[in-house]
Amino acid sequence: MLVCLRVPQYPLAVVLDGAPPGNVPVLVADRLERGRVIALDDRAYADGSRVGQTIAQAAAATSQARVVVYDPARGHALWNEMLDALDAVTPLIDDVREGLAFLDMRGIAGDAPVWMAQIREVSARFSMPLCLGTGANRFCSYAAAWIGDGTILTRGEEAQRLHSLPLQVLELDPDTQERLHLLGIATLGELAKLPHGPFERRFGRDAARRHEWARGIDRTPFVPRGHSVTIEASMFGEGQADDEAQVFFALRMVLTRICSDLGRCGKRANALQLRLELDSGDRPVLDVLLVAPTSDERSMFEVLRAKLEGLQFAAPVVGLHLRALRLEEGGEELALFSGGDIDTQRIAVTLARLEAVLGEPALRAELRDAHPLEERYAYEPFTIPKRHACEAPLATLPATVPQLRLLRVQETDVRVLRGEPAFVGTPFQAVLECAGPWRIEEGWFGAAVVRDEYDVLLEDGEMYRIYRQGARWYVRGVYD
Amino acid sequence: MRLPAASPDPRRDAFNELKQRLHGARAATAVALNSGIPTGLSGLDRLLGGGFPCGILVTLEGSRSSGRWTIVAGLLAAATRCGLGAVIDAGELYPPALAQAGVRLDRLLVVPARTPLGIARAADILLRSRVVRVVIMGAPVLRAAVWARLAGLAHRAGALLVVVTTAVDAELAASAGMRLGCALLRLAVFGSRGLWCTFAGFTVHTEVRKHKRLAPGASSCTRVGTPADGALVRERTLKRTPIQALASDR
Repeated sequence: MLVCLRVPQYPLAVVLDGAPPGNVPVLVADRLERGRVIALDDRAYADGSRVGQTIAQAAAATSQARVVVYDPARGHALWNEMLDALDAVTPLIDDVREGLAFLDMRGIAGDAPVWMAQIREVSARFSMPLCLGTGANRFCSYAAAWIGDGTILTRGEEAQRLHSLPLQVLELDPDTQERLHLLGIATLGELAKLPHGPFERRFGRDAARRHEWARGIDRTPFVPRGHSVTIEASMFGEGQADDEAQVFFALRMVLTRICSDLGRCGKRANALQLRLELDSGDRPVLDVLLVAPTSDERSMFEVLRAKLEGLQFAAPVVGLHLRALRLEEGGEELALFSGGDIDTQRIAVTLARLEAVLGEPALRAELRDAHPLEERYAYEPFTIPKRHACEAPLATLPATVPQLRLLRVQETDVRVLRGEPAFVGTPFQAVLECAGPWRIEEGWFGAAVVRDEYDVLLEDGEMYRIYRQGARWYVRGVYD
Repeated sequence: MRLPAASPDPRRDAFNELKQRLHGARAATAVALNSGIPTGLSGLDRLLGGGFPCGILVTLEGSRSSGRWTIVAGLLAAATRCGLGAVIDAGELYPPALAQAGVRLDRLLVVPARTPLGIARAADILLRSRVVRVVIMGAPVLRAAVWARLAGLAHRAGALLVVVTTAVDAELAASAGMRLGCALLRLAVFGSRGLWCTFAGFTVHTEVRKHKRLAPGASSCTRVGTPADGALVRERTLKRTPIQALASDR
């Protein structure tokens, strides 16, 4: 027997988060700009709004409606959390889509009312409006949930119970539904009476599958969802670790167990979470991001040690709890000629050590399209590029170009002759060559920034990038 | 029987002359080719026998606008083709210019360190890691033992540690395996003045001050930037000569 779990208007349920709809009609849109309605409450439906309308169309039909933008990430996370919780009822759950799942209850003690009561009990903390139905196969259980919450379709009574249901239950495509409507077919019973062979030839395979559904036959295989794997290990001793050597020893033992489990599951971890239990009762938590996914014990240990070395605890450590996070399938991506590749594990350890010593991570620059010099790039934490193989031979290197070095912006004295800088600095130095001005103008929609930039060669042989903003002059960089 | 004397063939003479010149050029090369990381500056690479040797501490000395970072950009461009490079930086780096010189920014570690201790420790970690081919750093005030340790780490890791500095103190000079002085000779200017004028490039003069196989004083001149393409590019010779420039920094 299968139990169908359906959350009608799932996006609306996520948005309302268990709260009652209130007095104002609610429209749920996929996005604010040029968005469309993906769910709505009964009041909005009664006013004439429909799923698929633009926000403007729905708002015109429903005055004073509250438009809420759906957060797909939150919806997905909530749904997965709910299914994880339902693992307590049955390990076999077919996740069809957000808001619809089938639970295989074969071998689970109890009968249909007991199963449904268990499902409600487990799902209660999510405050979702549930529709449950039980049937012999997927469609029968789905139809049971469609008929009413808590409906049970027992074997042998499918034809009788499905007979009067409208065609909308089958979720036919609009074209087929329209053609059936023109033929005067409105219910599953009327559809089931049609001969299967001619129906398949006329409407195609997909419609034929639904014709079987109307007769209570569903051959769609049940595909259980994968289970989330949690890999963690703890060590709580009776004694205390007063110096770091003891902590590191315990940490290495815990890591051995974690890496062994990772190896057995064929997984690699992208992050680690270390929770320390102190004698004082405190439980500091360290979230350690691994630059490259790994199951290598030594790399993980070095990274954790680098993190721990920068910390100071007020009380002795009495316990460790380590958890591998963000697991992904194991296996290193290898090329046939990968001998010269960069060792990702070593880089990960190096980055962790740098961060532990300097207090901030090593960075990687990324170019951006912008006019001001300082906005043409941005820094982000360094990550290892996916592929590391050597590239073209050195003969193809681009020509070397003069390098600009940014200086801390500071005001300078400039004397202008004939519209160009003629003397710069204190004491004044003559400008031998001057290029520019290049006008940088942006932020015209807010506080406008207008500056004229010049490259100048001074008589002492130094080349600077200077700019004028308003009546003041500033030094921005030096060519080296 | 006597044959008439062969008439002199101008092509044969030219060929012989070319052979002699090529032989002379090869003989003049002091060290073996293909032994280091090229900078992309042809004159400097020729002088050093192919590029900067790996496994040593190198100082690039010169005042501001002496072309030191142009050489560094060339080194990083070569290093990031086949591995990682690292720059210990205090916020003066301008990545778009490095990218323009061919540096792969996704393989360049920018390590933000400002204090002398932080810079030294960052260099230590990078060299010990053995994953970085070139490490670029400034010249903080450090004890001789620290410089000696960094030079030793560079040697063991086979990495190139480049210290960019204005002046070299005795401690650093003792640990450096190679010292190069840099200065600008000429500036190439494209256009006359004003809006349509740009600094197209410059000529870098590099002088060896310390090298295992080259005599101090060996030098090279290399043009950097857009090549001259006719009358549109004019060159301005800088007032101070390289010798003066280098002497003033000592």
